[in-house]
Amino acid sequence: MTLFEAIILTVITASTPLLIAAVGELVVERAGVLNLGVEGMMIMGAAAGIAAAVVTGSSGLGVLAAIGAGMAMALVFAALTLGLAANQVAAGLALAIFGLGLSGVIGAPFVGVQRPGIGKVELPFLSEIPFLGPILFRQDPFVYASFALVAGVAWFLARSRAGLVLRACGENHASAHALGYPVLRIRLLAVLFGGACAGLAGAYLSLVYTPFWTSGMTAGRGWIALAIVVFASWLPWRAAVGAYLFGGVTILQLHAQSAGVPVAPQLLAALPYLITIVVLVLIMRIRRAGAGGGAAGPQSLGVPFVADR
Amino acid sequence: MTLSRRTLIAGAGALAGSAALPGAAQAQAPLNVGFILIGPVGDFGWSTMHDQGRRRMLEVLGNRVTATQVESVAPPDFDRVATQLARTGSRLIFTTSFSYFQPTLRVAQQLPNVMFESATGTSTTPNVAIYNARFYEGRYVQGVIAARKSRSKTIGYIASFPVPEVIHAINTVMRGAWSVDPAMRVRVIWAGAWFNPGREADAARALVDQGCDVICQHTDSPAPLQLANERGVFGFGQASDMTRFAPRAHLTSSVNNWGDYYVDRARAVIDGTWRPADTWGGLGSGMFRLAPFTNMSPEEVSEATRIRDALAAGTLQPFEGPITRQDGQLVIPAGQRLTDDQIRAQNYFYQGIDVAMP
Repeated sequence: MTLFEAIILTVITASTPLLIAAVGELVVERAGVLNLGVEGMMIMGAAAGIAAAVVTGSSGLGVLAAIGAGMAMALVFAALTLGLAANQVAAGLALAIFGLGLSGVIGAPFVGVQRPGIGKVELPFLSEIPFLGPILFRQDPFVYASFALVAGVAWFLARSRAGLVLRACGENHASAHALGYPVLRIRLLAVLFGGACAGLAGAYLSLVYTPFWTSGMTAGRGWIALAIVVFASWLPWRAAVGAYLFGGVTILQLHAQSAGVPVAPQLLAALPYLITIVVLVLIMRIRRAGAGGGAAGPQSLGVPFVADR
Repeated sequence: MTLSRRTLIAGAGALAGSAALPGAAQAQAPLNVGFILIGPVGDFGWSTMHDQGRRRMLEVLGNRVTATQVESVAPPDFDRVATQLARTGSRLIFTTSFSYFQPTLRVAQQLPNVMFESATGTSTTPNVAIYNARFYEGRYVQGVIAARKSRSKTIGYIASFPVPEVIHAINTVMRGAWSVDPAMRVRVIWAGAWFNPGREADAARALVDQGCDVICQHTDSPAPLQLANERGVFGFGQASDMTRFAPRAHLTSSVNNWGDYYVDRARAVIDGTWRPADTWGGLGSGMFRLAPFTNMSPEEVSEATRIRDALAAGTLQPFEGPITRQDGQLVIPAGQRLTDDQIRAQNYFYQGIDVAMP
């Protein structure tokens, strides 16, 4: 394996949890709901995932538990913001803090317990392709899932009728309601989907990335996922670009340091953020020049919907 | 009793009320000792070991002390937490991070009746003592072992922040490695965090991909060691015995032991003999020890043991001259050694470390 291949493999590993969580949140926001609690749902997924995997001895059940935990957290958020029309920003921040605390409680008996991580799955024939094979087709199941997720969500939002309705709810919930669509039910499903993705991303951290439990192990990745959604201007394929860019810059700066590149490590550590800002500025310029550049945020994003009677 | 910051603040009113009751402040009342931790007690590293020190103190002193611990306190919250602890009756407070040192000095000035103990702080005041362990002695042993184990002659070092403690530790690994083989090199990656398991693992991956086959870590999670195990290279545990995380990769761990110190200092407050001391204990004092050597040949174990014992006895000095900087400038000639203040003030790398000083 060449150094270049090794770097790309590490970049994929670092980017996958960001991508899975970001795509989930992207769907939520496209439905018009701003859930800032990704970090909380993610870490609950990490805790529940390793807890269930250790107790049952099955990584598969661990993944299911992680998805379930993310969805349970999302349900709490939905009850507050959709059921009670509470402020979404406040509820999301509360969810993040709640998740960080509760995951510590759930994870406490599993501190120091470790189990082998989920291994790689080689796709027959495809993994034999020179260069691309080892990078794309000798990966763990989560990486394949993230590819499928991006493709599936992109197709769903752009091509399917249900996706169109979901976007309508995000753009103008009053009109969608007037047309007879169940805005709250659609948003509930979107929020649950986002929770499932965040939980899955959490499971990746505690079952593959660093296979053990410690509290606070998401270390801000949920917040980065939120940033990626904005960076992607709410387009799934662009979220993939954003996640890989972010993961890539993080890994490259580590390699640059190790190779002795004479740049201040503090500056290298800041690179991902600088690049995000530069890309956002570029996107805004392209958009202002009228050459596309993707959508602005959904019009009804963050606005609670209360059906008038 | 372990509290999170939030429950502490929520319960503070109730505690403050009870402290004001007549009779609550009798002379026989147990001493309440406060502990402020930078990370979660479940980090397997730095904060875990301070937590164990607290437990040891409670075990030895029994009903003469109580303890209140607040974990994962971000430096900006420090003042509030420290003041709250003092208000709810703590008369001795251990502040266990270099990031808390300046805030500790500030708060201590406002609370002259409370004794503070700052781990890895750099100067004392009438009510602030400082304490630390000579972890560099363990780093020297790591350097020797790494030089024996490495085939690529390249050691990887995952560093947290460019503070003197970390810089002189990197230098001592180099010293230990060069004492075996002057062809050894050290590569350094700054993780920019004390605790970020994912990034620590990524840094370890980068170092292994670039040819390092022994990984030293100056961050608190077991992730780098676990990665070393997965990739078939060697590594050292940090702060606690991390053998179980890497049965094939683990060589030894530096194991912190604050318990005896906490017992002594709490007892000094109870007896009224507390003074603002500057304590810097090495292997000989028991403030830390090395976990059993694993994955090493009997000859390697006996060499490492010999060096460890020489360091503990003080017959081997890691900072004895000649010492040469990266750029070839002589720091100290043969026959002399760096003073403690010079060790603590190191802001340069030794020869053999091929990265720029940040």
